Amino acid sequence: MPNAAERMKLLAQDFFSKNDLGSEQETRISLFIQAIKTTNASILTKIEFQPFEWEPYKSLHKQYFKEIELSTLLNKATNWSTNPFVYMEATQLNLKLWQMAEVNQYMQRAFSVDEVFFTYLALSHAFMAEVRILPVLPPTMPLNTPFLSAIQEIEEENGRQIQAQIRMLKAIELPISQEKKEEIVSKQQTVVQSCFCDLLAAVCKLPEERKG
Amino acid sequence: MSIFKYGSHEVFYQTYGEEDAPVIAFVNGLSMRTLHWMPMIENLCSSGFRVLVYDMLGQGSSSKPVLDMNFDNNAEVLSLILDEIGTKQAYVSGISYGGVVALKFGYLYPKKSRGIIPISTFTEMDGQFKYLAYNLHRGLTEIGFGFYLDLLMPLNFTGGWIDEHSNVIDFTKRIAIADMEVYGIQNVMEQLASFTNITDEIAAIKCPTLIMNGEFDSFTPRHLHEIIRRQIKNSRLILVPKVAHAMTIEIPDLCCQIIANFIEEVESGRWKGDQTTWIANEELGAHPVAIPCEGDYLRYIPIELSRERYEEKRKAAAQKVARPVATKANKPVEPKTPAPQKAAAKPKTATKSAAKKPVAKPATKTTTKK
Repeated sequence: MPNAAERMKLLAQDFFSKNDLGSEQETRISLFIQAIKTTNASILTKIEFQPFEWEPYKSLHKQYFKEIELSTLLNKATNWSTNPFVYMEATQLNLKLWQMAEVNQYMQRAFSVDEVFFTYLALSHAFMAEVRILPVLPPTMPLNTPFLSAIQEIEEENGRQIQAQIRMLKAIELPISQEKKEEIVSKQQTVVQSCFCDLLAAVCKLPEERKG
Repeated sequence: MSIFKYGSHEVFYQTYGEEDAPVIAFVNGLSMRTLHWMPMIENLCSSGFRVLVYDMLGQGSSSKPVLDMNFDNNAEVLSLILDEIGTKQAYVSGISYGGVVALKFGYLYPKKSRGIIPISTFTEMDGQFKYLAYNLHRGLTEIGFGFYLDLLMPLNFTGGWIDEHSNVIDFTKRIAIADMEVYGIQNVMEQLASFTNITDEIAAIKCPTLIMNGEFDSFTPRHLHEIIRRQIKNSRLILVPKVAHAMTIEIPDLCCQIIANFIEEVESGRWKGDQTTWIANEELGAHPVAIPCEGDYLRYIPIELSRERYEEKRKAAAQKVARPVATKANKPVEPKTPAPQKAAAKPKTATKSAAKKPVAKPATKTTTKK
């Protein structure tokens, strides 16, 4: 039996097999992805205070600038909606993401190798692994529009960045058990999946009762 | 869809065919999922076999652990799924990465191994193969999954197959990108980084073993299969003409014919694991299924056997087979100079026509183990 997230993806696939992307849909998707990218970049600004020799420095430094680059690319490529309600609803979803992912805990202090840092890496991994638009679009849909080519670029870059996340998640030495680490990773995946499902529901305008 | 719980992870598996039929378990290659076996499943079920397919952890519909992945788990998972479906012994076939799992299964679970069919695979990584794996990993992690699939294309398939399917390749690539969780595949690949040579271990495999190697497989070339042939006493190596690495996708019906013939030989007691090398008959439905291979098959240059001589031998072998011959009284053949295979009294042969028959609906189940 597919879980709730898989069911939502199937519904979205069904929706996009019958409908094209309009400006409202592009706007919702862009606002959500930009929220993720700017959130991640905000957390990563602190990386510049770390010494160059610190092992995660280089990959997180790269990720910091990539997040800004991709967010601005999306900004330029989106066919923005003129409907103010779209922005209002998108803001609500982004606030929900901030709350559920407890983003504030990563903003307050410098990076150090501890459970909070591990949890942040797991969240960052979940952002890249779970938020994927292309899989819900029909494989025959051309990707040569500015918006879809930007989405493709973002998802390809996520695929590259995720490797560094996996390496760091595996390599980081902490006084917590493997089970606890798995639990942290799984929790972050669930949080991001949940918000991504909300996005798909809004984008495809699926009634609430069909989401669960 | 059936789910097997392995610790906190879910492993997706599916069985097809009659419950009391001989079981063939197929183990995926690196970027495969169970769907890729479908043409072979239909063919083999129609020929009277039960087929088990499953997605390894990190693949397809199974869980994609971020941290907890171990190459050795794969053989254990297969063993537990066989318990789950009530199968005491099975034929285990795997392609590429899955071939390594099949070989591991062969020596870790000898009592459960009725026969092993490793296809396009390896037991050790030489310098050339290490670089290929390294390039694939770099392609995947530094350029992207699309490029990784592009790198695999000419390794997996022959030019002819690619030309023939050029109109659907982009489409299937998009589907693959959508279906695969990149981090799952990366994690499976990461296991290869810690892969240790299993050449010594496979000498412990005692069950009948048919090693299948494509003529034009430049990904896992012949010498890697030759290592397996030399190590496993109860084995034969069969060279499959005109195909590359992913032969189960390129010529599923011919693969079924070869596998069905192997199982039929084992079940009828006619199998001879004499470490000989054979060439598969590339004609579907033709007999014999394979003829002895002469010449230095480790070379690309056909030094000792001309095309004319090959045709002569093929025709001679076919004529011999036409005569009704008792099977069990055959003299044992010497390694390296194999006699032609005798025609089997084949109750059900895996052919293209068989593939068109309907297949039993898969059973659905969710269970927990471990």
